[in-house]
Amino acid sequence: MQVTLKILRYNPEKDLRPHWESYKLEAEPMDRVLDLLHKVKWEQDGTLAFRKSCGHGICGSDAMLINGRNRLACKTLVRDLGTDVIEVEPIRGLPVEKDLVVDMEPFFKAYRAVKPWLINDDPPPQRERLQSPEERARFDEGTKCILCAACTTSCPVFWVNGTYIGPAAVVQAHRFIFDSRDQGAHERFPVLGSTGGVWRCRTAYNCTEACPREIPVTQLIQEVKRAIMFGEF
Amino acid sequence: MYRGREGQWAFYLHRISGVAVLLFLMLHVLEMSSSMFGPEWFNALLAFERNPVFGLGLVLVAALVLYHALNGLRIILMDFTSWGVRYQRQLWYGVWVLYVLIGFPMFFTMLGYVFGGGE
Repeated sequence: MQVTLKILRYNPEKDLRPHWESYKLEAEPMDRVLDLLHKVKWEQDGTLAFRKSCGHGICGSDAMLINGRNRLACKTLVRDLGTDVIEVEPIRGLPVEKDLVVDMEPFFKAYRAVKPWLINDDPPPQRERLQSPEERARFDEGTKCILCAACTTSCPVFWVNGTYIGPAAVVQAHRFIFDSRDQGAHERFPVLGSTGGVWRCRTAYNCTEACPREIPVTQLIQEVKRAIMFGEF
Repeated sequence: MYRGREGQWAFYLHRISGVAVLLFLMLHVLEMSSSMFGPEWFNALLAFERNPVFGLGLVLVAALVLYHALNGLRIILMDFTSWGVRYQRQLWYGVWVLYVLIGFPMFFTMLGYVFGGGE
C-alpha cells in the first residue's frame, strides 16, 4: 500500500520553526512506523534525525507523537493506525534538538530527583534482603518502566507547568517507596511533596493511555498521593 | 491537538468551568457590592441585568457549575478510593448521565424565567 508519511522537521541551523514535510512510500500493513522512518532516511532524505536503538520496545528510545498520540515507533504497526496518512512529531514539552530528537535532560533530571535506587542503611544480611512474593508484587507495575518519556510528554500539566517532575519520575518513586526493603521514603518526600511534585497531577490519564508498557501510571501516582496524605512516609 | 481520551477532556472541561465560575463569582461580588452606593445604584443595576443576555449567561454559569460539581465528585472518588482510577471512564459517563437528569430540568426551568418572565 501507498502511505504518506508527514514528519515535523526542524533543523536548528536553518529553520526558525518546525515545519511539516511529506514523503510518499510503499509500505506493508505489518511495517512499523520505525521501518517507514528508516525508509525515508535511507532512500529519500538522509538528513532525517530520530532516535532508535533496540527496535523492539525495550530501550525506550523512539517515543514519538504518532497520529496524535505518544507511542513507540517500533511498536506501532501501519495496520494499527487505520489510515494511510501518518503524522509523526517529536514528543512535546521537551526542547527539540533536530527533527524527532528532543533533549531528554529535563526528563532525566526529574528522574534523578526522586532518587530511583534502593535506600537502606542497614548492614546487608549474609545472603539477601528477603522479600515475600506479595511484597514483591506490590511494586511490580513500576518495574516495567523503560524511561521512554511517552507518559511524561503526554501530560497537559507537564507541557505548560515547567516544574512538574512528570508521571515517569513518580512511577520510579513508587517503585521504591512501596518496596519493603527500601527506607528512603523520607528522602524522596521533599521532591514528591513539593510544588512540582505529585500534586501537580490532575488525573488527565493521557500518561496511562500512552504507556507502551501498559503501566497503570495514574493509579501509581494516586497511590503516592495517598501515601503522602495518610502519612505513610 | 493531542488525541487524549475521556480523562483529558474531563480535565480540560473541569479547568475551563472552574475558571469561568471563578470569574462569575468575582462579577457577582462586584454586583452585590454596588449596594454600597445606595439603593438607586443597586436597583438600577438589577434592572439592567433583567436583559436576557444576562439570563442566558446565568444559565451558562449553572451549566458549568453543575459539570464542575459532578466531575468534582468523580475526582474525589478517584483520589480517595482504590477503585476510582480503574473506573474513571465509566465514572465520567456517569457524570453525564447525572448531568442530563439534573441539568436539563434545571436549564429548562431557568430558560422559562429568562424568556417567559417567570411563573
